[in-house]
Amino acid sequence: MQYKCIPKEEWDKTLEQLLLSFTIFAVVKNEFGQDYELIRPEDIPGISYNKPKPATSLKNFFLPVRENVTSERSDGKKRVIIGVPNCDIEGLSLLDEIYLDNEYDDIFYSKRRENTILISSDCFGIQEHCHCMSYGILPYSVRGADLAVINLDETIILRINTPQGEDFANIFPAIRLVEDKSIIDKIEQKQRATEKLLETSNLNLPDYKTTGELVTRAEVDIWEKYSRQCVSCGACTTICPTCTCFLLIDKPGFEKVKQMDACQYPGFERVAGGEDVLFELHNRFRNRYMCKYSWKPGKFRSTACTGCGRCIEACIGKINKNELFRELSKQPVC
Amino acid sequence: MLTEKNIYKPVMAKLTEVIEESPLIKTFVLIPEKEFSFRTGQFIELSVDGIGEAPFTPSSSPLITEKLEVTVMKTGYVTEHMHKLKPGINMGIRGPFGRGYPVEMFYGKEVLILGGGCGLAPIRSLLYALEGVKDKLKKVILCYGSKTPADCIYKPLFDRLNKTEKFEAYRTVDRADEEWDGSVGVVTTLLNKIKITIDESVAIVCGPPVMMKFGTIRLLEMGYKDEQIYLSMEKNMSCGLGKCGHCMMGEFFVCKDGPVFTYNELKGTPDIWK
Repeated sequence: MQYKCIPKEEWDKTLEQLLLSFTIFAVVKNEFGQDYELIRPEDIPGISYNKPKPATSLKNFFLPVRENVTSERSDGKKRVIIGVPNCDIEGLSLLDEIYLDNEYDDIFYSKRRENTILISSDCFGIQEHCHCMSYGILPYSVRGADLAVINLDETIILRINTPQGEDFANIFPAIRLVEDKSIIDKIEQKQRATEKLLETSNLNLPDYKTTGELVTRAEVDIWEKYSRQCVSCGACTTICPTCTCFLLIDKPGFEKVKQMDACQYPGFERVAGGEDVLFELHNRFRNRYMCKYSWKPGKFRSTACTGCGRCIEACIGKINKNELFRELSKQPVC
Repeated sequence: MLTEKNIYKPVMAKLTEVIEESPLIKTFVLIPEKEFSFRTGQFIELSVDGIGEAPFTPSSSPLITEKLEVTVMKTGYVTEHMHKLKPGINMGIRGPFGRGYPVEMFYGKEVLILGGGCGLAPIRSLLYALEGVKDKLKKVILCYGSKTPADCIYKPLFDRLNKTEKFEAYRTVDRADEEWDGSVGVVTTLLNKIKITIDESVAIVCGPPVMMKFGTIRLLEMGYKDEQIYLSMEKNMSCGLGKCGHCMMGEFFVCKDGPVFTYNELKGTPDIWK
């Protein structure tokens, strides 16, 4: 694995020049926390590095909330997204499996993927509900993203993951290979510290596979209990980096608008005759858990829950899925 | 600019004829602007301009590529609009999608088909396909049930099949009218009349969920093995591409992994009959 470095001042200067040829998004702190923003020159010094995690997930860059999927459009400038936490990078691999399917390639998704350079950011520190490692995801990217960025003592260090990442790094005139091993040691110490925080914060949380087994055999009472606080708002699915369900809406001229949908909304599975498997709230509620921890893992290689914890933060009913899992793991196995 | 194949964009098809099959069921005859082929049992997404699209398995022969017939029961928003359509307009077609009937697997066997209501639409397409390979089959038995005699679609089909070598067709109704002198009762009652060698046969079930459920239970009682029973499942198949998530049934996307499954594949999945 190769590391390259550049003084922060030079990095910022070159980023400003790159705004002419790239559309750049990065994680920026605001009064509510931090989120991805479209970067203008004056935003560059305020880009947030190595702090978990943007409020919204990466998926909206690739799956817009609403888009016309029958009209043609031009590709536009190449996009660079800076500061993606590794949980979101890993979440994207499930989207790739679904949308870059050999048989039915979604050209809108694949164009956006080809047109985007992903720069991940190592998480140094955690947020209250972060639990990526419980599901086998590291808090730093060693694959999936083109580059990973670390801001260390006013030096930007780039971990090169892909040839596209290397090409992008080489655009920066002041870039140098990191030869001082102590710098890499320092990064690794920070990575270990984050891993330790995640472990301590998620003691007794069942791993991904165990969670799948727990939800599969869970009785209806637990779904009824936790869904009492659910108002079917769909915030959990909207914020989730791996929830990708959508609806096709017909417009005159045989145009089709693809709009993000959610299994938590009433009527999601209703068929024309009125039958609806997910009519009852607790069934809809359970459906999301079964999908993420039991069904999708049986169907896809990628993880369908990245442990980002955003669904817990977003829930207006204050439903904490990890409390549900801990409760399930304490129940005796019949 | 986008030049590659757009999976969301329908192909235009001219509606040339509308055939009234029963008070609630019509068959739409369509000429697609491009040649359109499908395997029997696969489905298409058929759209009404500006209204919506819905999944249907064509009821016509898979051997005919220049014309397509789709039989539609008036049961919801899109189908209600479809029933108002007159010949001459364009409709949109996406597909074909999914896994159809593995006709080659039926070679050398007796094929028992249980159909109910509008489930006869995909079955008619299958029957055309089976007629095309009848030399390779031992026999084909169709058992079909409708609510009333008036609800029975494709009435001439039964006479024609009964005159075709190796084919037998039986009908029953849930409720008879004055003119009906045939069998009365649910479709499984017809199974007492037929002669079939279970070990050398496959069974196909297509119809409303309740009929599929009791049909399958009866077939299992008769001695059919799970893998000998083929079910044509119905869910809210919205995109047809295994992406939108609406038709997820356990680990399966019905649109892509189905809609035809063996009972063996589905028996571990909860709520399959809902």
